[in-house]
Amino acid sequence: MTMAGGFRKPSVLPGFGLTFGFTTFFLSALVLLPLAALVLKASAVSWPEFVSILLDERSVASYRLSFGAAFLAAIVNAVFGFIVAWSLVRYDFPGRRLVDAFIDLPFAMPTAVSGIALATVFSPSGWLGQKLALAGVQVAYTWLGVVVALILIGLPFVVRSVQPALVEVQRDLEDAAETLGARPWQVFRRIILPAVLPALLTGFTLAFARGIGEYGSVVFISGNLPMKTEITPLLIVIKLEQYDYNGAAALGFIMLVMSFVMLFTINLVQAWGRRRQAGMGR
Amino acid sequence: MSIALDQVTKRYQSVPVVNDVSLKVEQGEFLVLLGPSGSGKSTLLRAIAGLTEIDHGRVSLHGRDVTGVSAREREVGFVFQHYALFRHMTVAHNIEFALQVRGVRAAERRKRRDELLRFVALEGMADRLPGELSGGQQQRVAVARALAHRPKVLLMDEPFGALDAKIREELRRTIRQIQRELGIATIFVTHDQEEAFALADRIGVMHQGRLLECGPPDDLYTRPATRFVATFLGAANLLLGYRQPEGVRFAPPAADAPPPREVVSILRPEEVELAVGADDVKSNFVGYGAVEEVLFGGAVERLRVRMAPDGPMPVAPGGDDAAGALLEASRTLPEQRQLPVAVGQRVAVGARRIHVLPTPISSFTIVCENETQGSALRGSPLLATLADRMQTRVNVRVGPSAAAPPGMPVVAAGPDSARTVAWQLDHGAEQLLCLPESAPLPGHVVIFAADAEARSRTFAVAASLLRHIPAEAVYLSIHAADTPQSVRAEAMRALLDARSAALADHGLDMRTEIRVGDPVTELLRELLAHEPAMLVVGIGAESAAAAEWLPQMIEGPVQRPVLIVRVPAAGRSGDA
Repeated sequence: MTMAGGFRKPSVLPGFGLTFGFTTFFLSALVLLPLAALVLKASAVSWPEFVSILLDERSVASYRLSFGAAFLAAIVNAVFGFIVAWSLVRYDFPGRRLVDAFIDLPFAMPTAVSGIALATVFSPSGWLGQKLALAGVQVAYTWLGVVVALILIGLPFVVRSVQPALVEVQRDLEDAAETLGARPWQVFRRIILPAVLPALLTGFTLAFARGIGEYGSVVFISGNLPMKTEITPLLIVIKLEQYDYNGAAALGFIMLVMSFVMLFTINLVQAWGRRRQAGMGR
Repeated sequence: MSIALDQVTKRYQSVPVVNDVSLKVEQGEFLVLLGPSGSGKSTLLRAIAGLTEIDHGRVSLHGRDVTGVSAREREVGFVFQHYALFRHMTVAHNIEFALQVRGVRAAERRKRRDELLRFVALEGMADRLPGELSGGQQQRVAVARALAHRPKVLLMDEPFGALDAKIREELRRTIRQIQRELGIATIFVTHDQEEAFALADRIGVMHQGRLLECGPPDDLYTRPATRFVATFLGAANLLLGYRQPEGVRFAPPAADAPPPREVVSILRPEEVELAVGADDVKSNFVGYGAVEEVLFGGAVERLRVRMAPDGPMPVAPGGDDAAGALLEASRTLPEQRQLPVAVGQRVAVGARRIHVLPTPISSFTIVCENETQGSALRGSPLLATLADRMQTRVNVRVGPSAAAPPGMPVVAAGPDSARTVAWQLDHGAEQLLCLPESAPLPGHVVIFAADAEARSRTFAVAASLLRHIPAEAVYLSIHAADTPQSVRAEAMRALLDARSAALADHGLDMRTEIRVGDPVTELLRELLAHEPAMLVVGIGAESAAAAEWLPQMIEGPVQRPVLIVRVPAAGRSGDA
């Protein structure tokens, strides 16, 4: 009993040993161990080889596409996700609940399905692709296609982050600002936006992180042309198929570092938001 | 005049939540709008600020019509119930907000901000975030923020609602002090009568969208005009009284005598005197009763006294009428020492001061031929609503009697009702409701005085009625086509006078229209255009005109409630 004494605190859930043990096992076996294996595998690669894989022209092109498209998609999502959340929170229209439910669909659908659907619609012979081709815009099999796929995947992250924050902005605040003489855009910029900014940033970062890692929905619409429309996760798969385990591990390691940086940023943003929220309790 | 409202009406889904409210607030005056939740007081306040658009009427601030002006340009200060502080901004930025959006320079802003912080006793708090302040301090910030742009009126919507009692009291003092110092016209909304008494120069009581009464607190307390105000401001025993030559008496009159004028009288608990026997009562003796409950409450003792069954009759119907009225009384410590009482003790009850409400509708008595008809009428939407909202009793009198009942007789509308109506009016009834059994609750009330002498009484009855049903009122002035121009102009003047008198005397604000034609056609046209409608018609003591067309209104093909008000014949007593 004295063994775990330092840890134990009275709790509603009994069986501290069991739950703590399971947590440790779960983390180790499913998260830390594979990651450690990845790091180990990557560290087996000699330094010059590692650098040459990382700075390979094809790899760099894939980073540029992966990060650039994810960033662009996250920006678009931040703007339109905010608008969607706004209309869902502030207006009551027929079918509002239905629209609200549809937002989560990209979460639930197998990403390959959405990728194939997008590719069909945007391919030069597809519904939208035909129209866009007339305007001289090609979406499928270009970097634009990657962005479109990532917008679809990322939208729910922004909407679901911003929605609760918008609910919190009471109508009173806007009324107060109006009686104090603020114009509509001043109300938006000075009252509404600052109040939902932490949530919006969280949504943006989540959408961005997801966009970097996304694979299933992108590969069908991007066309996967080396140097042009090849994303980093795809490059890893290609290297694996070519039995280039060192190359795959090195790229995987880079993606791991990136994901970690992303998550860390999310946490910082959330902590900042919480600090401000903490000052808000009545 | 700082704030002037003229017939302001706001509807939600065609139900008026603010109904024809007219109000004036002077420079430097502190007006408290008091009412239960849902009475429309907050909506009215928002309408003044421009946060809610109104459907009818006008809002003027300092002589400038701002009805169509946005909240941003009305230059009002508004304090919200839940502070509505900008939580991501410091106290300083909150207070400076109004100046900043106006492009005032930083140095000037800082000066004004420091001045305001001193005003609300929050010096040194400028750099805090609202979340770091207590509720009371946050509300002080909200007040300072609302005053930053030097508004000409200050509007406060239950600003202390979320605070505990001690802080409320402290804030009340601060607010009152600031308001006096600035001399700014202020409207303060609350549902707390204690708060209203503590703050107000004048109190306006709202109920169901209407501003029932407006006046100094002590006036409203001692001389209320409506039963709602009487019972909402403090405790009150509402008893049916009868005007006798020697004054108001509580004993119900005999059924076959011509009825004395029935009135609604108010006996405040503190005006009830308790004594051992009738001879010991120093004030007006009311009757004997038995003490049913004694509650010690510190400075005052609260009692309930059950009066004898033949004693005073409460206005509101109770569960056990046969047991007699239950009177509330309160006594101070010296009074308690003089005559200690215990539960079950028999006491003589006196009334030191009785206030008689000017309301012309005291109670209803359904006059019918059988019980079935009686209960059908009692259940009709209009009568049921009136009885419920007025908290008044509905008696049923079956079969013939020698005279009209006291109060307001109710007769069923039907093929033969004109004769019954005429009989009641000839046998002492001064007002009468002719009611179809299945008539829906009217949404439109048409008021018409067939004779000039009946106008004032008609307004009084209509006002009393309209306080309790959410309907809109229109007064029709109808002239025959051959009326000479000079007479019409005269009538127009009289009409305008009557309207302002109705507003001043009865708080009845209504629209007025002039029609040319014969009364039956014009009234029917107006009624048919606004079904479900109701007619309130006043006739003179010797009105011949009424006898000609009144039956048509009552027995017509479309039946609707008709309330007839008749001026009593000269020489009849009771109208003191």
